[in-house]
Amino acid sequence: MAVPVLAETLLALIESLDAAPGTGVVVTSMELEVPLEATASIERGDLVIRAGVPHTRWVSGVLPPVHKGKLVVELVEEPSTHGEES
Amino acid sequence: MADGFFNVEDFVQSILSQLDRVQDALRLKAVNRPLTYALKDISLDFHVFAELDPQGNVRFRPASSNESGASTLKLGFTTITRPMIEENTVSLAATRSPRIDELGLSPDEVKRLESVGVRTAAQLNRLQSVAGSSTVSRWANVDSTRLKDVLNRARPVVDRVQVQPGPAVPPRVVPRPAPVPAPPAPPPVSRPPISAQPAPPPRPAPIVRPPIDFGPKKPIETQPAFEPQAPVPRQRIRLVGRNLMLGEDAPGAKFNDVPVSITRALDDELEVELPHDATSGTLELSFGDDDVHSIELELAPASVDATTPAMWNGDPWAPGGGT
Repeated sequence: MAVPVLAETLLALIESLDAAPGTGVVVTSMELEVPLEATASIERGDLVIRAGVPHTRWVSGVLPPVHKGKLVVELVEEPSTHGEES
Repeated sequence: MADGFFNVEDFVQSILSQLDRVQDALRLKAVNRPLTYALKDISLDFHVFAELDPQGNVRFRPASSNESGASTLKLGFTTITRPMIEENTVSLAATRSPRIDELGLSPDEVKRLESVGVRTAAQLNRLQSVAGSSTVSRWANVDSTRLKDVLNRARPVVDRVQVQPGPAVPPRVVPRPAPVPAPPAPPPVSRPPISAQPAPPPRPAPIVRPPIDFGPKKPIETQPAFEPQAPVPRQRIRLVGRNLMLGEDAPGAKFNDVPVSITRALDDELEVELPHDATSGTLELSFGDDDVHSIELELAPASVDATTPAMWNGDPWAPGGGT
């Protein structure tokens, strides 16, 4: 399986913040330290960073090295983009 | 890049484009949801191998499988506001100026000047006007004669002067003199009412009192009417050249030692607004302390007569019948 680009991995991590519906719980902020297997390569003339979560927690000599990423995510209100239809 | 090494700029730019993609996706999601998440900070630790290429650029290569001894490159990104961007980046106006590698410098000299923060001709002009050319030469380790040659090429040059009509200025409104009041109408003649009944007995003669003198009658003050007057023509001079900006600032301008305003300032074009009655004189453009350009101007007198509005010519409804 190809390693996703960094943006897709970050979006998936942020999506995971949503609490289960009906619980009434809202996550307002999050700090997440996550290991990332990252590679950089030229694709169609552009440098593209691909990064995904590690395949395994075991250290092996055939997998890409694991880099560390730390995300700070906060809940924001977008007053200009919602509320007009209600 | 064939060897797997990347410039730091490319590396950071690639990550930034990915982060922009994340923020755009989150913003799109906010269209249908009242609350959304924003990526406020992100820090990434990359295991890389660094090298210095022959041109003096530091380049990185991400560590591959089973490679030990890699360095850790810690990159931190955070969200900043628009004022922070404007404070910490070069304005677009400054980037319109030609780059220093277009001035005939060798790549090494370009790199050394970049190390003192000079990337454009405008920045070079600004630095030498503040610090002096000898200081720039010493710090950038560029030969002073060579730097002088480059500075001459980076100096402001006016190639062409054009007089162009001014924009349509909203018509001035001037108060018309108050209308002369009409002479007072004579008092109405009182007639006895016609009656079919027999005339009543005569009344005693009324007592006639002298009228009270309130002084001379003053005309009633009315709100002054307004009539449009012809637009005040302004003379605008367009100066076409190169390197006409001092970094982000427009040069100072004086016409016959009177400061005049620059209404448009680009690196290759300036537009100066001159007084309406200006016919000839010296236009001085000040690019720093000791760099003043003087341009002798001979201007035709203004073609529009301000006392006869052009808009009324041939108009039979105009005052005077349009004659």
